[in-house]
Amino acid sequence: MTYANQIAVVKQECPDADEGEIGKEFSRYEKDFLIPPEDALRSVIKKFQAATGVEISTNSSTPVHEEKKVERFSDLGADDRNVTIEVAVISYTPRTQMVRGEEKQIAFGWIEDNPWETSSERVRWDYKDWGNKGETMIPGSVVRLEGASVNEWNDKRSINVNRTTRVTVLKEGGGSAPPSGNEPLSIARASEIEGFVSVVGRVLSAKPDVLVRKDGSGEIPIVRGKISDSSGSIGFLSWKEFEHEEGALVKIVGASVRKFRETPEIQINDGTVIETYHDTAFPGVSELVESEKVSIADLRNGMRDVSITLQVESWAQRTFEAQDGSSRVVRSGDVMDPTGRCRLTAWCEFDPKSGDAIRIEGGRVQFWQGSPDLVIDNIDQVSSLSDSPWEKIDPENHWVEVDLTSITRGGSRRGISTAGTIVAINSGSGIIERCPECRRMLQDGSCSEHGSQIGEEDLRLRFVLDNGVSNANLFLGKEPAEEFLGKSMEEIKSEISSIGREVFVTNLRSRVLARKMAVHGRCAVDGQGAMLFADRVELVEPKPAEEAEEVMQRWEVVL
Amino acid sequence: MMSKSRSRRARQSAIRIFAQEYSESSLIERGVGEYDPSFVITKLGVKVNRCLVCGGLERMERRDGDSGPFYRGQIRDPSGTHYFDVAPFQPELHPDAEELLARFETGDAILVSIVGRQKSNESEDGGIFTSIRAESFTEIDQETYKSWMVEAADATLRRLDAYAASQGADLTEDGFRSAGVPDDLVSGLIKSREHYSEFDTEAYKVWILKAFSRALGRTEESVEVSINSESEPTEEKSVQATEGAEARDVILEILTSSGENLVEYDVLVGACISAGSSREDAEDAIESLKDVSMEITEPRFGFFSIST
Repeated sequence: MTYANQIAVVKQECPDADEGEIGKEFSRYEKDFLIPPEDALRSVIKKFQAATGVEISTNSSTPVHEEKKVERFSDLGADDRNVTIEVAVISYTPRTQMVRGEEKQIAFGWIEDNPWETSSERVRWDYKDWGNKGETMIPGSVVRLEGASVNEWNDKRSINVNRTTRVTVLKEGGGSAPPSGNEPLSIARASEIEGFVSVVGRVLSAKPDVLVRKDGSGEIPIVRGKISDSSGSIGFLSWKEFEHEEGALVKIVGASVRKFRETPEIQINDGTVIETYHDTAFPGVSELVESEKVSIADLRNGMRDVSITLQVESWAQRTFEAQDGSSRVVRSGDVMDPTGRCRLTAWCEFDPKSGDAIRIEGGRVQFWQGSPDLVIDNIDQVSSLSDSPWEKIDPENHWVEVDLTSITRGGSRRGISTAGTIVAINSGSGIIERCPECRRMLQDGSCSEHGSQIGEEDLRLRFVLDNGVSNANLFLGKEPAEEFLGKSMEEIKSEISSIGREVFVTNLRSRVLARKMAVHGRCAVDGQGAMLFADRVELVEPKPAEEAEEVMQRWEVVL
Repeated sequence: MMSKSRSRRARQSAIRIFAQEYSESSLIERGVGEYDPSFVITKLGVKVNRCLVCGGLERMERRDGDSGPFYRGQIRDPSGTHYFDVAPFQPELHPDAEELLARFETGDAILVSIVGRQKSNESEDGGIFTSIRAESFTEIDQETYKSWMVEAADATLRRLDAYAASQGADLTEDGFRSAGVPDDLVSGLIKSREHYSEFDTEAYKVWILKAFSRALGRTEESVEVSINSESEPTEEKSVQATEGAEARDVILEILTSSGENLVEYDVLVGACISAGSSREDAEDAIESLKDVSMEITEPRFGFFSIST
């Protein structure tokens, strides 16, 4: 009989168990769960111990204490564990203590209950911190302790803050965060943060400019420019004189990084120190300019001084009436490069044909419907290229493969395809009602902007796509949803009204949860994460053997 | 500061993780701000707030708690067992849990996939028990399960690679970055290197290989041959010995063979677990060998050797 050895072991532990049943269980583990019999042994023994009434040791034998939530220390008993209470931190004194022969960093001090009242209404207790909570238990702050415990010694009670205690800061303490060091950051790194930084970079441009005061009281002279290192470049705005010429290598200490729309900018003000820096190995201007070239994937809202090569896909012009009553013409169209597609708007007489290759210098980027819109204001900014720098792109089939992590770390883009695993199905998926005025989704027949409305029905599916490192919200509008579900909106509507929305979502979940999905469409990225708007989606059939080969090759694993 | 407030709102990605790596974790990072996420940080340095796990449904039951009914279950993957529950405050999941329970009680073999949040309990003596609070779950077919195993193996290999790269690097964010540790693993890996002591990564490779061979549809024999030889003696023993003795033997074997070198507590527990014992059995065995039979000693806190 197969599994004879394993069955014998199970029989030893559970004499009453039926051998045939035990064999079936091993077979189930092997065939259905893909767990070989020797690995399944413990599981099978446990199962038959439970079935035949043999006592089993549970995995977590120690009892888990129920949370005890109190407002005052006087409500606590000597044996209370897992206590939740809000307290004011009065003092925090770190100390090194020997615990079972090992040096441990602990701290002690005073805390007071009833932290939101004056101190005459409070009671003060001692506490000990065993969990290095120094960063949060700052004197002067009010914190919520969750999972603290009471300690009683010589009839005196105190609080133990344990390693697993959660300390939530409800009100910040007196001390402010230490200023960041003067260590220069790479420009790529400085671009990711907001706050004070120091950088070393080469000046690529520096032009005097003026800002006009809004109240009409005059002009402020400023200098705008760009500095660069091998990691990237960043625009700067100097509120004081900037004496360094193009090509100069400078160290800027104590400048602040601000964001204009989605584009970071270094602001130089009175407190900033700029000094000449010496490093013969630092890349020269020409090298830095060469690496400056951007493509559509790099465009961010608010960028200036953009130089880029493009292929025109479509072009149109439109006449409209300006505020002063004169008629004006705006020209715009779709453009592409190997990294994607975007819109181009021209406020000048520029009339390319579709398929033309063009070069733009000094363009700026704004946003149009959540995607970058490249803008030129002057015909001098554009030149025609006789030869396309790349093999002509077919607009019908121009989807650029971008992995999900690059999407979440990049900017808003159109014309992308990506893939990931579905890890959530939004319960609002299905038929929704939209405000006839603004297309917002109605909540209980009411629009947040236009109040009570008779909604227009629409179909929408919302998923979360996840690759284990990054994730994005995925939206399917009516057409892609109909195509994915293989049904018309009317059919889906009658399905939902007969089975209910919960069952509809459950069915959807069992179809897509934990499955891989390929998405074609556009993405919008902001501070809260990435959103994907699908033109088309499809489930990717699992091919475990092929996937395994690929992964094994990647990590050089040999079976 | 900005990046902090941003990450507060950003959704946490679902870590692909085998049961063994998750259950060995004892480092918990609680969020500081009101809505900051909490994490289980594994030995390989991944910060788990949300995870995507799959496996065979080994147990499923409904229980009644103070705040209402909830469900508790466990799923089995090539490395071990994930424990999960469906909380009382998630009534929207209860119909699905009820259906899964009914399916389980028919005796059918069910493969499930669970997306869930980290959860941990600390016992009196400071032991950490990690589990998963389900956010959503569904039954899956075997091909999808195999595909998940490959993804989890890929993710684990990536972490092993980062762990190896971090050896010898400065214990700083910049040090780890320049050693080639991917951005998403840097901060967790620093904390894990500070918290956990050195450990043997071989055990991880054993179940990664098992996962691959299952995904490739290989037979069991070919796996047995290819898995490194040192795991075999313990495997054989586990077939004959009873529970307590199993862990004992593993511990004595390791300490005997390491001679005068001290062996760390976690290494002993880890070895017992990879030989098939539960964490609890391993800990009990160490306790009893030290205090009852006095076959082993603890010359330094947390480090053991065989009694002479």
